[in-house]
Amino acid sequence: MEFASVSLGHYLVVAALLFVIGVAGIFFNRKNILIVLMSIELMLLAVNLNFIAFSHYLGDIHGQVFVFFILTVAAAESAIGLAIIIGAFRAKKSINVDDWRAFHG
Amino acid sequence: MQSSLLWQAASIEIFIFIAACAVMLADLFLSISWRTRLHWAVIASLWVAAAASFAAVGNDPIVALHGFYVADGISNAVKGLILAAAAGSLMFSRHALRVNRIFNGDFLALVLFSVLGMLVIASAAHLLSLYLGLELMSLCLYALIAMRRENTSASEAAIKYFVLGALASGLLLYGISMLYGATGKLNIADIAYAIANLDETNTAIRAVLILGVVFTVTGMGFKLGAAPFHMWLPDVYQGAPAPVTLFIAAAPKIAALAMMLRVLPQALPLFVNDWQQMLMVLALMSLAVGNITAIAQTNLKRMLAYSAIAHSGFIVLGVLSGGGGAALFYVAAYALMTIGGFGVIVFLSIGGRERAELADMRGMAQRNWLVATTVAILMLSMAGVPPFVGFIAKLTVLESVISAGFIWLAVGAVLLSVVGAFYYLRIIRLMFFESAPASDNKAIVLRPSATLLLAAIAILVVWYGLFPGDLLTFFELAASTI
Amino acid sequence: MFEFESIVFYFFAFLTLSAALGVILVSNPIYAALFLVLAFVASAGIWLLLYAEFLAMVLVLVYVGAVMVLFLFVLMMLDINIDTLREGFWRYLPFAVIIAVLFAAEIILVLTNPKFTSVVGDASAALTDDNTRALGSVLYTEYLYPFELASVLLLVAIVAAVALTLRRRINTRYINPATQVQTKPTDRVRLVSVTKESPLQFSSPSNDKKGKTSCPD
Repeated sequence: MEFASVSLGHYLVVAALLFVIGVAGIFFNRKNILIVLMSIELMLLAVNLNFIAFSHYLGDIHGQVFVFFILTVAAAESAIGLAIIIGAFRAKKSINVDDWRAFHG
Repeated sequence: MQSSLLWQAASIEIFIFIAACAVMLADLFLSISWRTRLHWAVIASLWVAAAASFAAVGNDPIVALHGFYVADGISNAVKGLILAAAAGSLMFSRHALRVNRIFNGDFLALVLFSVLGMLVIASAAHLLSLYLGLELMSLCLYALIAMRRENTSASEAAIKYFVLGALASGLLLYGISMLYGATGKLNIADIAYAIANLDETNTAIRAVLILGVVFTVTGMGFKLGAAPFHMWLPDVYQGAPAPVTLFIAAAPKIAALAMMLRVLPQALPLFVNDWQQMLMVLALMSLAVGNITAIAQTNLKRMLAYSAIAHSGFIVLGVLSGGGGAALFYVAAYALMTIGGFGVIVFLSIGGRERAELADMRGMAQRNWLVATTVAILMLSMAGVPPFVGFIAKLTVLESVISAGFIWLAVGAVLLSVVGAFYYLRIIRLMFFESAPASDNKAIVLRPSATLLLAAIAILVVWYGLFPGDLLTFFELAASTI
Repeated sequence: MFEFESIVFYFFAFLTLSAALGVILVSNPIYAALFLVLAFVASAGIWLLLYAEFLAMVLVLVYVGAVMVLFLFVLMMLDINIDTLREGFWRYLPFAVIIAVLFAAEIILVLTNPKFTSVVGDASAALTDDNTRALGSVLYTEYLYPFELASVLLLVAIVAAVALTLRRRINTRYINPATQVQTKPTDRVRLVSVTKESPLQFSSPSNDKKGKTSCPD
């Protein structure tokens, strides 16, 4: 891969790193549910970048349409995720997962 | 494969969508006393839609809505099963919903919307409609679990389900993006066609596709709840209110099976060796984790959750051996037994307290013989003891595994199922050979409707165990018209 | 020699990735949300390089403008104790970093294989047309079914969010506009016909001292 001029590979590398950062963020911040939600957004951002890069280089618009729908779904998903978190916070007055722990085994 | 609009092909989806909107509006304008009637109306529409789907199984496959939608044997059979499972779980849960204070129009509307998502998955001919159906289903399920807000274990279960569900969607999407990158297509039939015409010598494209398959299988494994991606499942089943558990344990499993049947054999037939190996790992791990961990459980909901993991191992076995009919039969039997199993928990949880500990089953034979007999039949059936339906289901899956040439896999599955028989039999021992503690040994009186439903489940489990022939040929027919 | 396009790419790529690391490494969720905004804006820049100008605008306007604002609203509404959220963070870090690096290396090796990128990444086929027009021409025709599904999804998001967060507080007073509008004048003002009463009769012997008692001061 050359460094001087940008090619498909460059975009895919950025997307792969972004995806791994997102997945790692979920496992690092398991206690902080809000950052977990943001890590999920990072994963979806990586997927979108992948789709747009492929779509551009394949000369095929359908990948970009897919991104359009992923953005819609992600917005709906974060609305519901935040609603669930608000409900849990009202019940427990905490977003720390350790303060909940209703389960064992 | 760009076809014309043909929106009539999606009549069942449109019907369910209209029903969901009607329920929301009706709940707004009708008084609370109408809710029972609304509940029955929803159940009736689900049964009507289920009957229509089952009736359409023999029809010729139709591709509609510009190639995003397909109505073939598999999709019609799966839709019928999903609708019937949803209707069945609602029938079992009416009283418990009232006790849990989630007996309202929002609940019914969200159930119908998630059923709509499952139907969309079943008929997806394009990875975009598959993804949208999956998200429609999942978002409703997250909300359903969290609906009882003052219940903190339900909120925690919802958050756990949400995070792992979103992670699974992310993995699935990353896999889909690689399939798209390597083939330039998103339509399932087009992907299969593009892969068949790939340059054989270009191993780099093959590698990208295999990576895509890995991510897709991982994402679907999470959604199905197969080990090693099962860690959310016991907490969610235990934490959710019992009537919601009843719903999420049955219908979404059927949809997850439909997703696997769509993506793996139909889009990636030339990578069959690669995904077969991955599915073997999933199947064996699910059987091992499910059956062995279930032994240590003291909570009935958790035990059934681990048993569900073991059952998903069998469903995966059905998919990997190419036995679509066997997998459909297995998932139908699983849905029937699960609705019965969680239905018992729902019925026993009268008076605000959830009787879901194993200790609560002690001496059940003296307290209510019908409950004890039904549970015994269900447990024997889940363990795979003849002559119940669970036995026939396991047998057909194993037959298809052996005919695909994986004799060692079938042997492993049988051995692990024998381990599983232990904890099923333990419940029977608790119910029939131990006496109830003195503090809680009064006879349990169920409402007549509950008695009737439990008896019906028990009879169905026995009936399809003794006479499975028609059902088997039906699902074989469904799996072959694609 | 670096082209202008590459310089822009490296700038935005560096910005996106470092902002993404910021999201997962900072302890304060507010900072994390702001880093996420930066990551979105920077990747909108990358998307512009790929001629996806409509999607880049949507990302900035809808995502940063609406979804991230929702995030920040929730963050500020919840009174979060951030001290306890970081316990155990550093213990798992080395192990997780090793796995993440291996994972990333594997994906990158597969995806940047020149035999793959040379087949797929042929710049001559690349899409350079008016992106907005191209999206619009398929979105409302061919993508009818996914479009309708997306609308159902948004409806579900509204219903679920309301069902999960709306609560009727017992101790707050609120006005019901429907009953307010439907009130009739008769509900507010009651005209009472008062019967004329006969003058008070004091059966007292001190009838002559009435003036004094009625006016004490």
